Amino acid sequence: MPKLPRADGKVSTNQPSTITMTINGRRQEFQMGRDIEPTMTLSYFLREKLGLVGLKVSCDEGACGACTIIMDGRAVLSCMILAVHADGHEIRTIEGLEKDDPVVLSFAEQSEPGYGTALQCGICTPGFVMASRALLDENPTPTMDEVKEALSGNICRCGCYAGIAQAVMHASEKIAGKGGRS
Amino acid sequence: MKQPFKPRTNRKFIGGYRPRIEAYDKASGQVRFADDLTIKSRFPGLLYSKVLRSPYPHARIKSIDVSRAEKLPGVHLILTYEDPELAAFKLTNAGWTDGVDTVSYDRMMWRNYKDRRVLGDRACWFGDEVGAVVAAESDEIAEEALGLIDVEWEVLPFVLDPVEAMKPGAPLVHPEITKNNVMPADEVGGEDVFMVRGDVEAGFAEAEHVMEVASTHHNATHCSLDNWCCVVDWTGDRVLVYSNSYEPDQSRMFMSQMLDLPIHKVAVISSYVGGQFGRADTGDQPFFLCSAVLSKRTGRPVKFRHTRRESFHDTRQPTIYTAKVGARKDGTITSLYFKSIGNSGAYADHTFFALKFAPVEVAEVSFAHIPNIKLESYGVYTNKIPASMMRGVGNSQFNLILNHVVDQLAEELDMDPIELCIKNFGHEWGSMPDKSLQEVLREGAERIEWKKKHHKPAEGPVYGGTRKRGVGFSFHPAWHAEWQELRRGHIPVAIRLNPDCTVILDAPTVEIGTGSNTCNVLGCAEALSFLGIGPEDIHWPHTVDTDTSLKDCVQTDSSVSYLQSEVLAILAGELKKEILKRAEPFLDAKAKELDIEDGRIFIRSSPDRGMTLKDMFFQGDLVPIVVLMSRIPDGTQTGVPYFANFAEVEVDMDTGKVDVLHLVVINDCGTVMFASGAEAQQVGGQVMGLGEVLTEEIIYDEATGIPLNFNLIDYKIPTMADMPEIDPVLLEVWKGVGEYGACGIGEGTLTCTPRAVMNAIHNAVGVRINEIPIKPEKILRALGKI
Repeated sequence: MPKLPRADGKVSTNQPSTITMTINGRRQEFQMGRDIEPTMTLSYFLREKLGLVGLKVSCDEGACGACTIIMDGRAVLSCMILAVHADGHEIRTIEGLEKDDPVVLSFAEQSEPGYGTALQCGICTPGFVMASRALLDENPTPTMDEVKEALSGNICRCGCYAGIAQAVMHASEKIAGKGGRS
Repeated sequence: MKQPFKPRTNRKFIGGYRPRIEAYDKASGQVRFADDLTIKSRFPGLLYSKVLRSPYPHARIKSIDVSRAEKLPGVHLILTYEDPELAAFKLTNAGWTDGVDTVSYDRMMWRNYKDRRVLGDRACWFGDEVGAVVAAESDEIAEEALGLIDVEWEVLPFVLDPVEAMKPGAPLVHPEITKNNVMPADEVGGEDVFMVRGDVEAGFAEAEHVMEVASTHHNATHCSLDNWCCVVDWTGDRVLVYSNSYEPDQSRMFMSQMLDLPIHKVAVISSYVGGQFGRADTGDQPFFLCSAVLSKRTGRPVKFRHTRRESFHDTRQPTIYTAKVGARKDGTITSLYFKSIGNSGAYADHTFFALKFAPVEVAEVSFAHIPNIKLESYGVYTNKIPASMMRGVGNSQFNLILNHVVDQLAEELDMDPIELCIKNFGHEWGSMPDKSLQEVLREGAERIEWKKKHHKPAEGPVYGGTRKRGVGFSFHPAWHAEWQELRRGHIPVAIRLNPDCTVILDAPTVEIGTGSNTCNVLGCAEALSFLGIGPEDIHWPHTVDTDTSLKDCVQTDSSVSYLQSEVLAILAGELKKEILKRAEPFLDAKAKELDIEDGRIFIRSSPDRGMTLKDMFFQGDLVPIVVLMSRIPDGTQTGVPYFANFAEVEVDMDTGKVDVLHLVVINDCGTVMFASGAEAQQVGGQVMGLGEVLTEEIIYDEATGIPLNFNLIDYKIPTMADMPEIDPVLLEVWKGVGEYGACGIGEGTLTCTPRAVMNAIHNAVGVRINEIPIKPEKILRALGKI
């Protein structure tokens, strides 16, 4: 078994038998072998082992963005990360957002004439919501170009890009209206 | 410039801008798709299935040995094509139905082309699912087991190009069906020459101007992110199927007929589907059957799910079209001849639907005033990925040639192509010019600034030293109006009224993203407004379960947005009658003396005497009141309205790069059922449309016949950063029958996009590239720069 890198950059000389993650605010410990296999992706672990099926696995190779979650404040593709590599990290999935999260509400509410809705079939939506949430956490008042740049790793085959962009701008306004706090 | 749509008739709920009914559930990630509903923890003992896929475009299995694979820990069962139960399955195809009707084996639409075995020994394309299926503890073990199966392949010569495939001596893909790869004419699709009106040759001889053109459409593919998925659980004498099939009733019929089980012994359950777009999804996929047999034999539920790469499973029919047109100098078209050669790929599927049915529909409607018409077509088997329906069937391909004819003929006659369209294409069953077409083109021209921006080819200004701009458009008749949906037969809906005046709506359809569930709820609320309720008081169950649901209305032909609502408009009247009848003892009056308004029931002659419905319902054993009706679509021939796309492009003469600057998408809807949803279709369809014309393409290694880009990195779908400004324009000019008289728009929103862009490119740089996708090298080659 090769050495596994740890999140804190230290190199463990032994395979850790316990993996610790903070998932949606709750610190949890998992056992290697029982809960996590060395080859298991984080997306598989979250969906199949923890039932956090909000994230979707479509391409399973980092090309579509449907599995986007937030790790340590950044949007990441959970299909491209091994579960063991999440050891010591903080994970946020769509299940961890507040019910009235401004991004969720803005995606749900978008019906402004001329742009269409921010979702149709909805399978890419959790990925877009999490990528947008990470963007707004880092940059609460993005320009339209910054939105397009941040969300161009996500595919929406129904093509709701215009509605999604509007939703993100509206979410930004909602956050500003709350004094910058989401 | 974006302008909100203004309805022709103001209604309470129909036609408004509002969120979809399930928007919050989707935005918060709570909606469950098939893959979410079938995680292992929900199905104790779940096994995972994988099927062997051919590494060659054309090959036969000489022998197969699964003994090494069977020894792999975690493998439960491997079945091969030699297994008696699998070998006994009847021959089938991928075209039982186009989804409009639910059909048995004997009534399958393309019954002359039974070209598929459920699990055979012959592979007709790279990736063909043949030879063996595995059931194992995990997907990974199943995949590993496939690698341990020893197959001795007899590699056969292959052919990819349909014109090559038609030549004598070409490798034969289905020799049992055709000896020259050309699919034989049949009673459904018609003869090779499948429509003749007047005499085209005489028409050409008399014409003042004759022109011949050609356009080729390639094999764009659906790329829905919700990969095919099912769990089949065969327990006792019943088969339970959870799937993302959007045709649960047809899937049930398929399973029942192929497994020789009574219909009530099969249940198919489908819920939300993450994008459908017409993928070869008529409920008749072989993996349902293989999974069923594996489940029966292992006694475990069995899950089958394609990977995203395996989901490159079918495409639009690549089609080579040629057209010959005869016209008078004033632009009146007198003679039209279209010929197509369609690449069906490995299996027939709906190839003849695309090649024959779609052009006939256009000819009947749009060419009604053209005296001489001839349509001819050949569907050809090759060893490419099979062709299927994709956001329409054949309309995108036919649009590419039709609006090529329009643009080039106008240019050769020195006319405005808009005028040429209005002069020739109809119709409102007789009257010309067609009001819908006129209005659609007028609106598009205004929004794109046609008069200002359309110039003689290549004669516009130059930007930045190397870039030229142009505008173009393409039009098409809508797909579909109610009279074109007769084949659906009965459309059932039911309303259950609870004592608190909330409603459970039984209008089953698998929601694939189209928003017709919202249309249904809005239509129901509109029809029930006498109850004083709104859309929030109506629950639309999103799961279709063939055990308990009414027959599902399949999301095809873009028609579900209004078909069920039209029935609901009538059914609401039945509900009112039933309430009035049951109210008689409470108000001591006859039903005919009573009325209901805004949730209150009263005696018409003395309106003070009455009570709220809720008060009445809670007083007695009156509810739930259930009313149900089904109705065959109204076949009154009302014609169809039109839609069009206008595009402005900028072409870099040095690099060949095309930037689409602006798209205007105009749909005459009859009645807009749900404006935000309709605009989402108009805007959203452009991702697929622009991808088809500029970036998306399945690329083959011609030497080996192997497709090279079955992944979402190399198959280039436009992202948010690639999309131009899009103006969605909704109109209500035409009207069909019924309360709403709406028509479908969803599939069609991208039908016109490729040709609109191509005509704009021609307007910009003066060369025509008629083979999509238009990649920079094709522009540079056409400009003589490489």
